[in-house]
Amino acid sequence: MKIHRAITGIVVLTMMVLVATGALTLAQDKYIVASDIPWAPFEMVTSNGEFFGFDLDAIRMIAIVAGFEVEILNTGFDVIIQNVITGKADLGVSGFGITAERAKTIDYSDPYYLSNQAVVIRKDSGLNIITAMAGLGPRQAIGAQNGTTGFYFLEDELQGAGLDIEVKGYEFYPTAILDLVRGRLDAVLQDEPASQSSISAYPDLLMIAGIVNTYEYFGFLVAPGDPQGLLPRINDAVSELGLKVVEAPGGAQMLVVTPGSPWDNLLKAYFGPTNDELEAAWLSCKDLLLVDKDVDAFAKAMADEVAN
Amino acid sequence: MVFDLAWLPKLSQGLVLTLQITTACIAMGIVLGILLALGRVYGNRLISTPCSIYIQIFRGTPLLVQLLMVYYGLPSWGIYPSAFISGILALGLNTGAYQAEYLRGAIQAVNPGQLMAARAIGMTLPQAIRYIVLPQAFRIVIPSWSNELILMVKYSSIVFSITLLDLMGVGRRIAMRNFRYFEVFIVVALFYLALIFIISQLLRLLEQRVRIPGLGEQAEQR
Repeated sequence: MKIHRAITGIVVLTMMVLVATGALTLAQDKYIVASDIPWAPFEMVTSNGEFFGFDLDAIRMIAIVAGFEVEILNTGFDVIIQNVITGKADLGVSGFGITAERAKTIDYSDPYYLSNQAVVIRKDSGLNIITAMAGLGPRQAIGAQNGTTGFYFLEDELQGAGLDIEVKGYEFYPTAILDLVRGRLDAVLQDEPASQSSISAYPDLLMIAGIVNTYEYFGFLVAPGDPQGLLPRINDAVSELGLKVVEAPGGAQMLVVTPGSPWDNLLKAYFGPTNDELEAAWLSCKDLLLVDKDVDAFAKAMADEVAN
Repeated sequence: MVFDLAWLPKLSQGLVLTLQITTACIAMGIVLGILLALGRVYGNRLISTPCSIYIQIFRGTPLLVQLLMVYYGLPSWGIYPSAFISGILALGLNTGAYQAEYLRGAIQAVNPGQLMAARAIGMTLPQAIRYIVLPQAFRIVIPSWSNELILMVKYSSIVFSITLLDLMGVGRRIAMRNFRYFEVFIVVALFYLALIFIISQLLRLLEQRVRIPGLGEQAEQR
């Protein structure tokens, strides 16, 4: 009889705790966003340690539209998926390319960004996208960051097709750009936004010869099965902000941005200017996003600030 | 664990580059090491001080820093060494400093009375060094010099960081694709192990061939 009562007590207590934590979670509605910062212009940090960047501002805007709060947690890129799976973070927002391999372990939102690979060359080299990539330059060498889509493209699609080129792998993409500037490479293949930011570092020396379409879509990621039901809320919010995903013939996905929408303004703001210009713009506009929580005004102000 | 025979041809190519770089940098280090050691032992202050400073700098800074300074730093001065040349240059400059110190110890282990005796029978100082001191010093230095050679084989693996595809660089490229880092690096390690085993056997043979009876024991007793 006594044991019986004890068990009843434990069960009741457990239920109370469960209800209490459940209520707490509902009341908070705050999610932890894991991100690897910096990776300009997607993930950046100001000189006094505030996080910004295209990804981070996008998830803040999404949170405002969808009605939840986010807290940004800076972690290494390679542990983000692990953090999301184990519940240390609720969302992974770090320029994650959607790959079949990753999709086995985590769930993705709809794609929010299409990243292709840009071919960066020296202006004075006299090369173009075809000659540079075909190994007709003086060095017959093309650089890329180890383990990136660009690197595999060079090895599989160019070397693999029998082109006589040397593929040089770098630990960090800025050193590949440095070797291009120094004339040890004919071209560097890397993600378009990162290439833009390299060009703005050497505007007199480098140019983008062209784009190789590798169709890498970026998505936000959550734990498998989306236990908190975040993905539909995020997808709806993105579409409300002005980005629609349209199925194109042949099964490809097209990202259509409504002109003048907050999403359009955010894209305009982040892709092009130098990191210093972006930081200055963000610092002068951040209150609209963080305090007033006005997505339209923030994105508009950022685009205007950068355009000036 | 899954090993793949398809790795072997690529790793063999890497092995060739590792051998080329190690051989070249050791050769460069021998020349540099002899000059530095002689400068330190027999030079006047004007010569021995720069030699000591050089040795201190190259022994006192990380090899990786030296390598990156040669590859990424020299272009700032208008010198554009290729990755291959940079690797040999950085490793050679570094091992030169270490070899100089080993050789200096060996030179000083030769009984100073012999030098005096050589001068007494009318040899000039360079002659005495050339015919009396160095032949003995070279024999004494072989054991510690073997260590340096073996170390350079292993240290040469850092050249992967300047885009070279040596044994280590090839291993990383294979592992980057199949994510079987453990298996790939076991094979890479076995390659290094085999290489170093062969080299140390050859050096032991050399040591026995050029041995002067009694001289080795004297050096070991110190």
